[in-house]
Amino acid sequence: MALCLESGYTSLNKKNEELCGDRVESIVSGDYTTLVLADGLGSGVKANILSTLTSKILCTMVSNNIAIEDCVETILQSLPVCKVRGVAYSTFSVIHMNSRGQGYLFEFDNPQAILIRGCKCRDFDREGMEILGKTVYKTALDLQAGDIVVVMSDGVIHAGIGMTLNLGWQRPEVMEFLDNNVKPGMSARAVACLLAGVCNDLYLGKPGDDTTVAAVKVREKLNVSLMIGPPVDKSKDDFYISRFLSGEGKKVVCGGTSSQIVARHLKTSVRASFDFPDKDVPPIGFIDGIDLTTEGVLTMRRLLELSEKYVSTSDLTPKTFTKKDGASLLAQMLFEEATDVHFYVGQSINAAHQGLPIDITMKLKLVESLAANLKKMGKNVAIDYD
Amino acid sequence: MVVKVCVGSSCHLRGSYDVIEEMKRLIKKYGVEDKIDLQATFCVGNCTHGVSVLADEAIVHDANKDNCEELFLTQIYPLVK
Repeated sequence: MALCLESGYTSLNKKNEELCGDRVESIVSGDYTTLVLADGLGSGVKANILSTLTSKILCTMVSNNIAIEDCVETILQSLPVCKVRGVAYSTFSVIHMNSRGQGYLFEFDNPQAILIRGCKCRDFDREGMEILGKTVYKTALDLQAGDIVVVMSDGVIHAGIGMTLNLGWQRPEVMEFLDNNVKPGMSARAVACLLAGVCNDLYLGKPGDDTTVAAVKVREKLNVSLMIGPPVDKSKDDFYISRFLSGEGKKVVCGGTSSQIVARHLKTSVRASFDFPDKDVPPIGFIDGIDLTTEGVLTMRRLLELSEKYVSTSDLTPKTFTKKDGASLLAQMLFEEATDVHFYVGQSINAAHQGLPIDITMKLKLVESLAANLKKMGKNVAIDYD
Repeated sequence: MVVKVCVGSSCHLRGSYDVIEEMKRLIKKYGVEDKIDLQATFCVGNCTHGVSVLADEAIVHDANKDNCEELFLTQIYPLVK
């Protein structure tokens, strides 16, 4: 099975601050993904400038395979010196690895990174190195499929100080929490959001410090092919459907007519479910040989709403979808499980839909916006218009 | 007999959910639970006259939650053997 990396993060701003002093920057370059989490000294604008500079410089340099010593030196010489404190300072964690999970982790003054393997936390075996009087910890990474690397700013282990907890929670408690709550199959983004969410709870919704969690996961690729709408040229239905069915991975059909022609091609029939887990989303259907069958435009519209929330780095709604309506099932499959999404968009016009808020222009617009959000999530997206 | 309520996009917008709830109620009210099997179906190609309801082969047009009982009594109930 081919492996790949996925990454995601969630950031909470210190209360009353518009800007976050933590910054996550990532670059995918060829087979390598580089992700930097930097936490600038102080908060607000100043911290934001420091962490932005640090993360941008580090991410660009490390992804170009420049030695960490040179990167650190560049940062020390470029950061503006704080007038109040007389130092130029930003912490950082850098993950630089390829899709097989091999690479490096560098850490400077952020809480120590956590490795989640098989839903259980463990420490990395790291070694300190002196660079210009600073101690930077280096770990050679050699990860397995399913491993998740979690890096965080100190807002995570300070969560709740003086509010719900006297001394905050410490790293062992963070690890215990993750042990108990990380489920198999959770995406990097879901794990980051899970941890940031509980920090926000400990802060009673008013974070005393910028709090950021970023995660990178080594996982197997999963391709999802999604057909929405029947093709314009009816006589070629079978051709388009065999092309749709020929791809690897999971298959999804959205739309009443589409599901009927797919069922006909497979010499079976569509069975519509009778359950309305959500009154606003039409019920799903079943076709033997197809992983998920849903209604078209209305389900898509809800799916787009869910995707807006999913891509937001400050939204704390859990990133795993457990509801059983068509849109939630699709969201779980496309956002959490898939790494590659291929849309087969049929542009045939349903005369009865014109003028209603479910016509063809609406459908095309929805697919376009959804594809853009999927790209933001780091998915490889392809669209064929038939 | 099998009664299918269309839950395609167009019919859904016109209130399939309410029609299904109403049908459930009517089937119970007239005591034909063991005679009618209520199901949902994807688009039946009758979008301009939704909500569409299929009573075996017969199609019932323009159902909504207010006229459901009338349609049920005139077009569906007589077909029940």
